[in-house]
Amino acid sequence: MKPAEFGYHRPCEVSEAVALLAGLGDGARVLGGGQSLMPELNARRITPVHLVDITGIGSLRGARRVAGGVRYGAATTHRMVEDGLVPDAGGGLLARAAAGIGHRAVRTRGTLGGSLAYADPAAEWPVVFAALDATVEVCGARGVRSLPARELPRGAFRSGLATDEIVVAVEVRSLPQGRWWGLHKTAGTAGAYASSLAVVLFDTDARGRLEQVALWLGAARETPVRLPATELLLTGRSAAGLDVAAVLPGVAQDLGTVDAAPDDAARHGLRVHAATVCRALARAAPVVSAAAGEGAGAP
Amino acid sequence: MNEVSPRLRVNGAEHTVTVPARTSLADLLRDRLGLTGTHLGCEEGVCGACTVLVDGLPVRGCLTLAATCDGAEVVTVEGLTGADADRLRAAFSREGALQCGFCTPGMLITAYDLVRRRAAGSPEEIRAGLGGNLCRCTGYQALVRAIASAAGESAGEPGTRGGAEPGTRTGESHPRDRA
Ligand SMILES: Cc1cc2nc3c(=O)[nH]c(=O)nc-3n(C[C@H](O)[C@H](O)[C@H](O)COP(=O)(O)OP(=O)(O)OC[C@H]3O[C@@H](n4cnc5c(N)ncnc54)[C@H](O)[C@@H]3O)c2cc1C
Ligand code: FES
Ligand code: FES
Repeated sequence: MKPAEFGYHRPCEVSEAVALLAGLGDGARVLGGGQSLMPELNARRITPVHLVDITGIGSLRGARRVAGGVRYGAATTHRMVEDGLVPDAGGGLLARAAAGIGHRAVRTRGTLGGSLAYADPAAEWPVVFAALDATVEVCGARGVRSLPARELPRGAFRSGLATDEIVVAVEVRSLPQGRWWGLHKTAGTAGAYASSLAVVLFDTDARGRLEQVALWLGAARETPVRLPATELLLTGRSAAGLDVAAVLPGVAQDLGTVDAAPDDAARHGLRVHAATVCRALARAAPVVSAAAGEGAGAP
Repeated sequence: MNEVSPRLRVNGAEHTVTVPARTSLADLLRDRLGLTGTHLGCEEGVCGACTVLVDGLPVRGCLTLAATCDGAEVVTVEGLTGADADRLRAAFSREGALQCGFCTPGMLITAYDLVRRRAAGSPEEIRAGLGGNLCRCTGYQALVRAIASAAGESAGEPGTRGGAEPGTRTGESHPRDRA
């Protein structure tokens, strides 16, 4: 199908975009890369009166290093992260996450800010930025505010943004050398959304045992969830010997499901999540310092 | 403001077309420029039939507004030229990589992007790269063979990352991409 009629606006500055959104009111929507919005417009699931296209705002595209980390403009595309055109504050984690999103032609246009604002429970960026404890900068008619990426999603496809607010940037502290990251996405087919998405960060002691574990899961609840019981279970063990049976009790406790649940689908779901966590651990990699992408624009 | 007049360079020719703002790039190409090689299947980003190059990068023609492409360089299957494109066309025909042909334009654009980036080194890589292009006829085996064959012929030559082309306002490939 084709979208219903709408008015189209293409501001060049954030202030102009915010003024447009405030002036046009509830009937206006932000257009980022369009890779989630356009399918909805085409199917006429939503029929906004106005679209404010923010991809013409040069200051939103690209990234720059800041003290201790990297600041990514909201209109930075998945592809730019995948191809290393911007520094990787996750020491390889961000590029891995980006490469797993949809298809190349989707990654060419889809943006970090759009993905965060869309708040799909199965999407990559909300989980990854929650695990990295990133900060999201938002600009609206009442000014600029910052909030933890963990607090942006409020439910499935619901973010805490006001209608006149746009995501401007995401700031991520760089993972230190010596830390490890793992990401695994379980999905039906290449390019599909995750049925489970695990992101794990950890240190190792001299004997290779896990310490300082941070473990986050996507596609399990309406918003990304942290798995503290599983983190505790993993601490002091070595990643090599871990199988699904070993992590299952932790994941079950964190998700409030029991492996003996009478519901087959719930039991299956639990096992998928546990297996995803295991694979994220098994394929974990040490942080590599990202000199690449230096100077790729500056939001 | 419900009409827009994007200026586009399509397969080398300049066009400024006035269309309703809701017009997708694919609809502009097909209905206003008569370039019906670009096909529309699902219009939700899944099938890949509408894939075209914008500023050297593959995009979904169905999920890209024509308005967003003001100032952009667009290449459709009709304008795909160069050694990599010629090898792919020959290989598709030689290997029987098409039957009804509905998916073929998107397949060729996607395959071109893979081959040009030298990202079609193994059958696994090719299969992963074709994940966003559906074919209801061939069963994919011949497609993978054809792309592997064309990629083999380009193997010794330098590839490009794609998107290093001078970009404009599509929010994508921009001169500063050239890190
Ligand atoms: C076939 C297909 C497969 C996909 N697979 C995956 C996948 O596996 N994983 C995944 O994570 N995603 C996937 N996606 C979605 C893709 O990542 C989108 O790019 C992303 O969800 C939205 O980003 P966008 O820039 O395209 O935003 P848009 O589609 O333009 O907008 C999405 C929403 O966010 C709002 N918005 C956009 N930018 C901003 C901003 N800066 N500030 C405030 N609000 C904003 C819009 O108003 C809209 O409500 C897929 C998409 C397709 C079509
Ligand atoms: S028509 Fe665009 S992806 Fe199917
Ligand atoms: S040849 Fe018919 S869909 Fe691919």
